[in-house]
Amino acid sequence: MFLSQIVSVIFKKEASGVGIDPSSEADFIEVDSKVELPFWLAHELQLRQAVSVNVPPCFNQKTRLEIQADCASVDIRSRCPYFYEFGCKIAPIVGDRTIGVLLLSAFKNRYKEILTKAHTAAIAAGSKFWTILTNEEINLYETAQSAMASFKKWRMGGPRFQIASILGRKRKPAE
Amino acid sequence: MAGQSNHELSLFSAEELEFIAEDEIVDIVPNLKMDPLCLVSGDFGPFTPQIVTQVPLWLAIALKRRGKCSIVPPQWMSVEKLTQVLEEERDSQEMSEHLPFHYVEISRLLFDHARDNIPDAYMVRSLIEDIRDVRFHKVETDLEGFNGFTIAVKIKNLSAMEVNIVRPFIGRALQAFYKHDSPELIPDPERVSERRPQVAQNAPRRQLRR
Repeated sequence: MFLSQIVSVIFKKEASGVGIDPSSEADFIEVDSKVELPFWLAHELQLRQAVSVNVPPCFNQKTRLEIQADCASVDIRSRCPYFYEFGCKIAPIVGDRTIGVLLLSAFKNRYKEILTKAHTAAIAAGSKFWTILTNEEINLYETAQSAMASFKKWRMGGPRFQIASILGRKRKPAE
Repeated sequence: MAGQSNHELSLFSAEELEFIAEDEIVDIVPNLKMDPLCLVSGDFGPFTPQIVTQVPLWLAIALKRRGKCSIVPPQWMSVEKLTQVLEEERDSQEMSEHLPFHYVEISRLLFDHARDNIPDAYMVRSLIEDIRDVRFHKVETDLEGFNGFTIAVKIKNLSAMEVNIVRPFIGRALQAFYKHDSPELIPDPERVSERRPQVAQNAPRRQLRR
């Protein structure tokens, strides 16, 4: 899940006896040292005001520009498969109000693409498209596809009056 | 809500919709003599040979399968009417109001069980397919208009099967829009700054230990 996404933080307090940073020589973290931590840990430390969290690279300026330019074809998955969920969690922590706007505009534009492709294109044709979606978008895509597939199955299937399995069974001879 | 079908978004399966559609009333021409049937949903009959009477679709199909009646296809299921509807659908972005709510299911049931009672069956079938395609495309165009401010979408005269196909998708999409548009995500700077010192006061100062 997005809890294990790595974020970089800056320590605001000294911390001794922690082996968080494997590259450090001493068993000690100085103030202002930059360390990469999983999100869950960074969040806890941030609540205790031990660290300040940097904006992760998937929400940096470069990504934003790409998303603004051609939203539908940006490969968000390779940057962060949990883009939206992670974004929702990280926005209040880094105190960046623009992340919310970014998420909404990204989703708004990509949604159209998913809408048209999910209900019409065959899965094989969509495979390239498939690789750039985030997990949330894939869920959405699959929901639409499965609804369409089950409708098609129903439409193609021949006349069927199903017999309940219990009725079809032969009665066992009394023992 | 939905009976046996899966999904947390309470989706009816196509089979369940078909089952519901079987309660629609159709005209039949029986070829047997039988007293009225008194059912929970109402009394049907009496059945007299060559006299048209009205029954639910499931009863019509049951009689038809036993060779006891012929089904009169509903008025909208004629080549003439369907051609009109198709033109209407192509001309405007609005959904036509001349089709019944269960047109997909009814036409499928009639094609399966009473094909010989439908004049120009092949033509009727392909017209219905065309109409369905045009309508579905319209639904997609309507849904493309979604944005963060959408709280509801209004599409008139949508049929049961059409709404069922898009229901899970719309549900999820609206949830996502709602989530990303919620005010908590775009916090008020003042509110946040109020909240932070509080946390600091409550949090005990601790040394990190291994």
